[in-house]
Amino acid sequence: MSRLKDLQKNLFGGTTSNARQFGMIFTLVAIVVLFQILTDGLTLRSDNLIALFQQNSYILILAIGMLMVIVAGHIDLSVGSVAAFTGILVAKSMADWNLPWPVAILFGLAIGAVIGAWQGFWVAYIGVPAFIVTLAGMLLFRGGNQFIGNANTIPVPEGFRVIGSGFLPETGPNTGYNNLTLLLGLAGCIAVVWRELHARRVRREMNAEPIPMWISILRMAVMVGVLVFVTLRFASGRVGTSFPVSGIILVALVLAYSFYTRNTAGGRHIYAVGGNSRAAELSGVKLKRVNFYVMMNMSILAALAGMIFVARSAASGPQDGNGWELDAIAAVFIGGAAVSGGIGTISGSIVGGLVMAVLNNGLQLMGVGADRVQIIKGLVLLLAVALDVYNKRQGRFSVIGSITRTFRRDTPTAPPSSSGAEREPAKTPVAG
Amino acid sequence: MRKFLGKSVAVGAIAMLALTACGSGRDEGSSGSGSGDAKGFPANSLIGVALPAKTSENWVLAGDLFTNGLKEAGFQADVQYAGASTTVADQQAQITAMVTKGAKVIVIGATDAAQLSTQVAAAHQAGAKVIAYDRLILNTPDVDYYVAFDNFKVGQLQGQALLDGMKAKKPNGPYNIELFSGSPDDNNSKVFFEGAMSVLKPEIDKGNVVVASGQTDIKQTAIQGWKAEGAQARMDQLLTSTYGNKELDGVLSPNDTLARAIITSVKGAGKPIPVVSGQDSEVESVKSIMAGEQYMTINKDTRNLVKQTIEMVKALQAGNTPQVNDTKSYNNGAKVVDTYLLPPVAVTKANAAEAYANDPKLAPLTK
Repeated sequence: MSRLKDLQKNLFGGTTSNARQFGMIFTLVAIVVLFQILTDGLTLRSDNLIALFQQNSYILILAIGMLMVIVAGHIDLSVGSVAAFTGILVAKSMADWNLPWPVAILFGLAIGAVIGAWQGFWVAYIGVPAFIVTLAGMLLFRGGNQFIGNANTIPVPEGFRVIGSGFLPETGPNTGYNNLTLLLGLAGCIAVVWRELHARRVRREMNAEPIPMWISILRMAVMVGVLVFVTLRFASGRVGTSFPVSGIILVALVLAYSFYTRNTAGGRHIYAVGGNSRAAELSGVKLKRVNFYVMMNMSILAALAGMIFVARSAASGPQDGNGWELDAIAAVFIGGAAVSGGIGTISGSIVGGLVMAVLNNGLQLMGVGADRVQIIKGLVLLLAVALDVYNKRQGRFSVIGSITRTFRRDTPTAPPSSSGAEREPAKTPVAG
Repeated sequence: MRKFLGKSVAVGAIAMLALTACGSGRDEGSSGSGSGDAKGFPANSLIGVALPAKTSENWVLAGDLFTNGLKEAGFQADVQYAGASTTVADQQAQITAMVTKGAKVIVIGATDAAQLSTQVAAAHQAGAKVIAYDRLILNTPDVDYYVAFDNFKVGQLQGQALLDGMKAKKPNGPYNIELFSGSPDDNNSKVFFEGAMSVLKPEIDKGNVVVASGQTDIKQTAIQGWKAEGAQARMDQLLTSTYGNKELDGVLSPNDTLARAIITSVKGAGKPIPVVSGQDSEVESVKSIMAGEQYMTINKDTRNLVKQTIEMVKALQAGNTPQVNDTKSYNNGAKVVDTYLLPPVAVTKANAAEAYANDPKLAPLTK
């Protein structure tokens, strides 16, 4: 096995690999570097990175839920309207009923849950296609937003705005950086290193072929290097700024949902349902329940996204949520999900969302107008998905398939225990 | 397990420390945005202009005028329109990008006037000045200046023109009129209406002018979304309910689109066209005025508004305080914003040629 293949196989994705997703990571890096040069270093400046996360956290949060919906073989067109409906209700609840803002956030999540249960009921138990249910929801809740808000813009109190535009406080000694951001970065580095060492230990205990030490070290070095760079960028912004609160919410959700979709039975059931719902049902997956919860979860995340946007905008307005569903769906597909369901990862969707976000931000920094930005984004979406479809048509069962096949040719020499672990169903490639 | 944790903590901590050591200090934030007045900034600085989506000719014209005007004045101009679908989010991102690029003044024609406080706060912290263009940005102390046409005056001119027009047609009252106002979600609708009523109310109280339908409350007169079909439908109903055997002398219409819809309705009912007010100098309405149908419109010349805004930018660049003419009226919910109000001009068939002499699009229509 050549060292290069070792690297390919092990550096980014643990045991399984997802070429499309790697492709997107490289695309993301390339776009960042490109814009970094084109904008004379504005792209990676602290304030711009902070703004980038604040501007896009709500779309990325939607992409998490949308990924699960799309993997399960559905679609949700109502997220923008649900977000707007929740936003106006939460803003009203604070303005008219004087709800304290933490209670208002819980209230908002509860609204999301109720709406989600409503949509999930129609999809899972009545069997109306999700496209129709959420198209109806899109109209229903957009109308609800206008009915309740009367097309007015309703401001929200200072405390509530923290979830959208807030920062970590400045505490501790003056290090020239935001100390809490440094601590977060440190925790991230520790987690990366611990996970790597843990994985090595597990492989040793299972008598699997160990990953070469130099690869482990290289992988850790790259990840820690990126983390440290990003941490220092976020920590060295203007005094009073740090890694944004909305970014922290996003990271927490990404970690939690990644773990859920990758490592738990419930999460794998979603992939099973999307891959082949009949087979999944016959294997004992509770189809209706999975569909119900996937739809419900989406609406709860939409409610959260709506509240974060309202908090960032300092007010809930009649334009909120317009077109968000499309941004979220685009992020998921650029991130490697399959239109037919069953394929896709949370981290891929986030990378897909970030590609769109950096593209948007970089073009804006260059002063390209919104009209041309939309044209470019549309082309990127089309090309990203077309590339994968084209590769499938060439008989190469997609980029993903072709890459995993070259790996399989290598693996027969490996002990059966390890190749068994590697040979996941073809439709469920997951980055480790 | 603990061994691994220990190792990883050590590696992580070393990495962090190693890279922290070579980092740089942080920017201490705004260099005093409040005291920036006295200093000015370099003459070739970047000026950001964030405008709403390209939905009306006026905004497109304003964008072109800003691009050219700022360049002529020696500045670098970054003029951006919000996208058509995600307008508010686009505008927020564009303003943030302008701040990042180091714009010294940011001129904002707000898409939603109440959803920009986070962005203008960031602009202020970075030391940029914020000028609200045409629409006042609400609920934030971080707006420095507001420049707009005097909308109360617009209403007054409409009311006065209505009275003058009716008098010219029929020397003696009482005159029957109907009132229309703009969309209830537009802050300006109320201002236009109140301006007009400040002129009409005394005449109504005297009995010289009669609102025959009795609908004088702004809630009854409002047309949701400034939609032409809404105005046409309401006029149809008024004609049926009230003007079966009465003569309609005048209609207060807040803008040209609604004015033309009202005229269409009256024509459809086969009645003589009353005196109808308008606003915006839309091409179709100028044609209508020249044809003797619509009585008047208001000219709010975008050129003058942009010119005034650029004057403000120039004053800020030189370190002077820009000229304002109203420091009391415009409270945005957080502070009273210093304002420069431009006077609108009432245009009838009589003065159209003179009023549009400088307008390459409208001037030929008045010949």
